[in-house]
Amino acid sequence: MLARAAENLYWMARYLERVENTARLINSTTHVLLDLPLGATFGWENLVEIAGLDNLFEQNYPEADEQAIMRFLIEDTRNPSSILSCVQYARENTRTLREVLPAEMWERINSLYLYVRDNATIACRSRRERYMVLNSIIEQRHAIVGLVSGTMAHDMAYQIIKLGRNLERADMTTRIIDLNSAVQYPQDGALHETLMERVWMGTLNSLSAYQTYRRLVSMRVDNNGVVAFLLHDMRFPRSVEHSLSEMESCFKLLPKSQQLQQLTAQLRHKTAQHITDNLDALALHEYLDLLQADLGEIHNALTQNYFHAYQDGLPPVDNGQGEIEFAQQ
Amino acid sequence: MKIAATEYATHTAHDELLNRELLPRAAAQPLFDYLSTLNESELAARCEAVDATIMAMGITFTVYSDSGNIDRAWPFDPIPRVMARKEWELIQAGLKQRLRALNLFINDLYNEQRIIKDGIFPAEVLEGSGNFRPQCQGISPRFGVWAHICGTDLVRDRDGTVYVLEDNLRVPSGVSYMLENRQIMKRIFPEVFRTTNILPIDDYPTQLYQTLAALSPRPGEQPVIAVLTPGIYNSAYFEHSYLAQQMGAYLVEGSDLVVSDDDVVYMKSITGLQRVDVIYRRIDDAFLDPEVFNPDSQLGVRGLMRAWRKGNVGIANAPGAGVADDKVVYAFVPQIIKYYLNEEPLLANVPSYLCMYEDQREYVLANLDKLVVKPANESGGYGMLIGPRATAEERAQFAELIRANPRNYMAQPTLDISTAPTLVDGQLAPRHLDLRPFVLQSDKLYATTGGLTRVALRKGSLVVNSSQGGGSKDTWIVEEGEL
Repeated sequence: MLARAAENLYWMARYLERVENTARLINSTTHVLLDLPLGATFGWENLVEIAGLDNLFEQNYPEADEQAIMRFLIEDTRNPSSILSCVQYARENTRTLREVLPAEMWERINSLYLYVRDNATIACRSRRERYMVLNSIIEQRHAIVGLVSGTMAHDMAYQIIKLGRNLERADMTTRIIDLNSAVQYPQDGALHETLMERVWMGTLNSLSAYQTYRRLVSMRVDNNGVVAFLLHDMRFPRSVEHSLSEMESCFKLLPKSQQLQQLTAQLRHKTAQHITDNLDALALHEYLDLLQADLGEIHNALTQNYFHAYQDGLPPVDNGQGEIEFAQQ
Repeated sequence: MKIAATEYATHTAHDELLNRELLPRAAAQPLFDYLSTLNESELAARCEAVDATIMAMGITFTVYSDSGNIDRAWPFDPIPRVMARKEWELIQAGLKQRLRALNLFINDLYNEQRIIKDGIFPAEVLEGSGNFRPQCQGISPRFGVWAHICGTDLVRDRDGTVYVLEDNLRVPSGVSYMLENRQIMKRIFPEVFRTTNILPIDDYPTQLYQTLAALSPRPGEQPVIAVLTPGIYNSAYFEHSYLAQQMGAYLVEGSDLVVSDDDVVYMKSITGLQRVDVIYRRIDDAFLDPEVFNPDSQLGVRGLMRAWRKGNVGIANAPGAGVADDKVVYAFVPQIIKYYLNEEPLLANVPSYLCMYEDQREYVLANLDKLVVKPANESGGYGMLIGPRATAEERAQFAELIRANPRNYMAQPTLDISTAPTLVDGQLAPRHLDLRPFVLQSDKLYATTGGLTRVALRKGSLVVNSSQGGGSKDTWIVEEGEL
């Protein structure tokens, strides 16, 4: 597989994952807000902050109200992480990748792009319309994932897609956990507890994890339980450890990946050993920042190893098939 | 559905689907039977579905303009162009004959030049050729074939004769639209495929793959085939990626390839350098290899010609194949066929006047108002003079151009090219069209079943190029009376 194509593919997967996560995050935040009683406040600007986009936002919008934040996150192409931007990039990347993807893939992504292009403004009009449009985006993205897993050869291109998807997913999960630290709770102890439960329920919902959590972990939705679940639970496909382990299995199938396998395994062990129980909001926030930096390091290492290897002269000739070969049963 | 009878009343050209009484020709009868079952609103709904499908399939082409490059949706007319199988098979044989002869001709020009020595083809035409590549002399590619992929433009004149208008031997495009047009028709009008025996066209990618695979310098092994594109801003990028996908080939840009000291072409894969056996290049000769051609080219691959000369990589079309894609050379094709094949040409050439010969030039200059004048090496309909439609001033300007560089111009009588009913404001109105079949040659010869029908959507217009307001139609080769 071409190094340039692999890089486009990796980013295509990351963009699509980011689209879904952003859509989920907006929807669930809206739901939580509807339940917040007087006395608790949540600033919409936190959504921009956890994505690391606060500077860019402030440069372009005078006021951080719901309307402005939604336009910024959904339809503003000056924001490279807005839903419209990401879908646009994913489509542009797919245009250069038609030969490594299932035939219907281009059409699906092109349709998603046309839908977002035509509906992004509508989504910014009202909460009701926003919910409908974002939900449809999530559904279309699921159809794309289904197409990939159901029809695509499990070749190198597939592993690259899985890598991009899981790296982006792990990163987004840490950011979604972090969102919780942005809620200002009232001083009243009992009310504090109920509210916190409600907000964590919202967090779980944004990851479609609420039922799974109740069934597998506990009926009680609290700080320690949810954070541990989202970071460590190997049964939950959006947990950080699960995403890391998926990446490990991709690296095992890809060539010249020794160092990347090690790096990923190390981070997974480190994450597994980190106890987050009873951390205060600030300490948790700092830990999540570190985790994001570690994920960034894996991103840099794999980019260097697979996509930019040719910048320092030519590597040796590969006389194999240039493709993953599974041992015959 | 209503036929625009008033437009047809003043119409002199041959119509592909309707006879002089405006009744369907035999091959088109099942199509008209089907169309009569659709009422106006049903047809409008189907047309909307066609537009939506084209958008979703993302079938676009790029138009270069001052305000940047824009991707436009592919203009498509849902009324197909229909031709009987019997007639098509004759044309097909003619297309294969023509490409076979042209390849012998190109190979001869780069080697012994027998045809010049035998006095059939004038040396001065070769000397004035913009597409002759001296760097290719002495090379004889596998099977002696240079032009592996040819797009031949055909038109039909008033009396029904089919003429070859030009042979595109450099990087002809359009075949992806031919294939996608059929996909659109199958999705939106599936019923008509049950009642009409329409021959399938979708074996083209397989045929193209086999044509290319036969060029591999490592026979017996699964060849690594790459489509070399100038990149995403090229107007035919859609086609490059489409064909790579259909063939299971790699889509590469010049910067993805490298020629090493052993004169072998490699691509930069994530596992290391991987050998490339065959390159289907979609960039012009001039940009192919900065070592040999244009030294400033960013699109090509340094050393590619070295690798090709050594036989370490197959290139289609071979560098230099464009020498026969020249409107002056065109005029000699009937003699070329007779010389190399000792056969009579099966397809007619449009009578042509070469301005390099004084008597013919004088005729052209005296009859500019009746003739179409074409520059030798342009494509896409650029730089032409359509005499009957030009102003006196334009004709005078063109006369100057001809006198300044006679070798570069040839002229032909203005053909009254045929039309087919095209959907215009809910009615079937006559619009002029041509046909571009694609012909393949390496160890075997192949011609598509039909081709890409391009139609001038503006009333009376003869320009079918998509960059200048043309659209396209599905092309049906049908078995008559067997259902």
